[in-house]
Amino acid sequence: MPTVTTTAEPHPVRLLVHDDLRRRRLTVAFRLLLALPQLVWATLYGAAAFLLAFVVWLAVLVEGRAPASLHAFLAGYMRYTVHLAAYLCLAADPYPGFTGATPYPVDVEIDPPARQGRWGAAFRIVLAIPALALASSLGGSTALGGGYGGPVVGALGGLTVVAGVLGWFASLVRGAMPRGMRDAAAYAIGYGAQTTAYVLMLTDRYPDSRPGTASPPPELPPHPVAIAVDRDPLRPRLLVLFRLPLVVPHLVWLTLWATLVVLAAVAAWVTALILGRVPAFLHRFMAAFVRAATHVGAFLLLVGRPFPGFVGREGSYPIDLTVEPPRRQPRLGVLVRPVLALPALLLASAYGGVALVAALLGWFGALATGRMPSGLRDVGAASLRYHAQLAAYGLLLTARYPDSSPVLRGPVGRPVVEPATLPA
Amino acid sequence: MTALRVMGYAALVAGWFVLAWLISGSVVPDGLTLPHVDVEGAFGQAVVARAERYERFLLVLWALQTIVMLGTLALYARHGGRFARESAAGPLGTGMLLGMLGLAILWLAQLPFTVTALWWARRHGVSHVGYLQAVVGGWAELGLTFVAVSVALLVVMGLARRLGSWWWIPGAAVFTGIAALVLFVGPYVYPGLERPDDSGLVGRYRQLERAEGLSGIPLRVEHVSDETSQANAFAFGLGPSRRVVLWNTLLDGRFTNREVDVVLAHELAHHSSDHLPKALGWFGLFALPGALLLMLSTRHLGGMGDPRAVPLALLVAAAWTLATSPAQNVISRRAEAEADWKALETTRDPTGARGLFREFAVTSLGDPSPPTWAHLLLDTHPTLAQRVAMADAWEARHG
Repeated sequence: MPTVTTTAEPHPVRLLVHDDLRRRRLTVAFRLLLALPQLVWATLYGAAAFLLAFVVWLAVLVEGRAPASLHAFLAGYMRYTVHLAAYLCLAADPYPGFTGATPYPVDVEIDPPARQGRWGAAFRIVLAIPALALASSLGGSTALGGGYGGPVVGALGGLTVVAGVLGWFASLVRGAMPRGMRDAAAYAIGYGAQTTAYVLMLTDRYPDSRPGTASPPPELPPHPVAIAVDRDPLRPRLLVLFRLPLVVPHLVWLTLWATLVVLAAVAAWVTALILGRVPAFLHRFMAAFVRAATHVGAFLLLVGRPFPGFVGREGSYPIDLTVEPPRRQPRLGVLVRPVLALPALLLASAYGGVALVAALLGWFGALATGRMPSGLRDVGAASLRYHAQLAAYGLLLTARYPDSSPVLRGPVGRPVVEPATLPA
Repeated sequence: MTALRVMGYAALVAGWFVLAWLISGSVVPDGLTLPHVDVEGAFGQAVVARAERYERFLLVLWALQTIVMLGTLALYARHGGRFARESAAGPLGTGMLLGMLGLAILWLAQLPFTVTALWWARRHGVSHVGYLQAVVGGWAELGLTFVAVSVALLVVMGLARRLGSWWWIPGAAVFTGIAALVLFVGPYVYPGLERPDDSGLVGRYRQLERAEGLSGIPLRVEHVSDETSQANAFAFGLGPSRRVVLWNTLLDGRFTNREVDVVLAHELAHHSSDHLPKALGWFGLFALPGALLLMLSTRHLGGMGDPRAVPLALLVAAAWTLATSPAQNVISRRAEAEADWKALETTRDPTGARGLFREFAVTSLGDPSPPTWAHLLLDTHPTLAQRVAMADAWEARHG
């Protein structure tokens, strides 16, 4: 299959993450209360910003460029909302300033004003609807939330809320934010920032939903359950149009298979409690199921191009899952596995919502252009990987907790630094 | 061809005819001559004119739709194989994909006709289904069709890959088995069936049931009045799953109790005459030559074990169904005529029967006397005029 390499220019709104994952338990415990003054201020600041954005919109329509002073004001507001969002969902620890001028561990870098297309500017709100839908499912923008008057609920929804809530418990216990959750929240915040910048006329560049574009590039430690994503963007329209009905036979088959997998999982659980490991044949059987479900999910969500097979054979699909062979597992972890999996189940549900929105947007896009936008594809792939890792964890294929980071590829040649034993 | 093989084929053909003879009996008296019915007199000039106009348009639409269907499937048979490259599912999965895509393309090609037919039905007050509901609903229902075609292809291709060119004999048997399973399970999974809340109706139904020598067959009502004003009823199921179902449009006051009783007796007659097991037998008898034809026509493409043969197989299956539909309709009409006769024997009410068939022409816009070609190709029931004539014939015999 053809591989497409994109060599696009950097986005004018770039996410910077210089956070060390350490959190002070006291400020974590009272985070929402501590943020109350910020939320009040964010609402007032937001009202002014959205008012000025209208002026900028008129200026861009007339001049084709945002006035530098107004651009600077809105950029300051943008940075402030990023700091606040990061603070609220524990993607960063320090109390943010009120102007957005001071550097912050999770920050954005915004280019100076550049020429913008007038047609794009005229229809900006309409054009922004798909990005707003995705940003809403990610829920990483306090600016958009504050803009329509729901500073807490609207500002942080979906993935960010779940990552924040789970991260709150983890930070209270460990004094550190799990890396994967921080990266998930930071990704959502970055996308929210790019969407806000687009809506506020700071740039005419559409938001980029590819995970892992933050600076410095986020880490991705090896995991026993890994996904490989083919870069082929082409999607034949006929197969796109009938995606859902085409997948129905697979869903029927997977449902039948799942009943056997449940029985196998019970047998694996009992065996692992006694022997400390899952028998190889059960491991193979359940791993094939998880792989087949991932293949079907990839096809359904338009992450993969071809029609998948029914048996989950490794290497048979361009979006493939590798599952390491069975290893010894601590018996206590096996005993309480269903309980331990609950937080990941919550995050999987949030990821599922994001993937659904991405697939829906991708469906329209692919139907129109015959291609799946790479950002939407990667979001879907990240969700699939998380679900596969959760399934593998729940079915005792691995003792390793799912990695909640949306990043698909780690930086080459850099050591992975991660607080020991923390769920990622 | 060896003598043994010739004898085998001869035995198969002979067996086919023996079985066909065994299941084709009817209680309608031999030599029953149906009297002439003055259609306009019996149904009313205005009703006949309206029904004819309604049906004529649908017949033209059917003819065009059939041409488009065959043309589309012919094109797909020629070019559809290229979609195999969109599959990572191995030969069986690729065959399924090609089968599903063929039906998807067919659905797209027939969409204008579906919408036009709906427009026509809405215009005549026969259907209340919205256009979006019809299109989106049809798209979603494709999922079930795809499951069915996938299972069928799994059976055919699996057998063909194992047994080579002999797959068609066990294939026909497996299909008949699957049809029996569907027929048996159908009543248990059919959605939206409710118990009737009219105790009078249930009492009359029980009486008719006893009169036909049956017992314990549940009566159910299906609510369709949101979608159509047409009236209908049907019998389905096998053994313990047997059911009689009335559309609630039969119970909305347009039909008298006597007319509804004729419907109930007719549907019970399908069960008392074992029409459904017999229909299953006919299915098997037609499946056998159909499967043979599939095997022969796809041999040059490597046989049904090769996914490249699937697009052609769709065309052959559609052509076979179309070509055998006159024969299948004869069988169906014969069973329906028998059910009508038994209903008359049970209710002893030819007036109720005539009233029912007249009302069908009014409410469902059924043409009492359609063109012969349309009757032969499309009608699974005797024409309304023939059914009125049968009521007259029964009355003449029984005074």
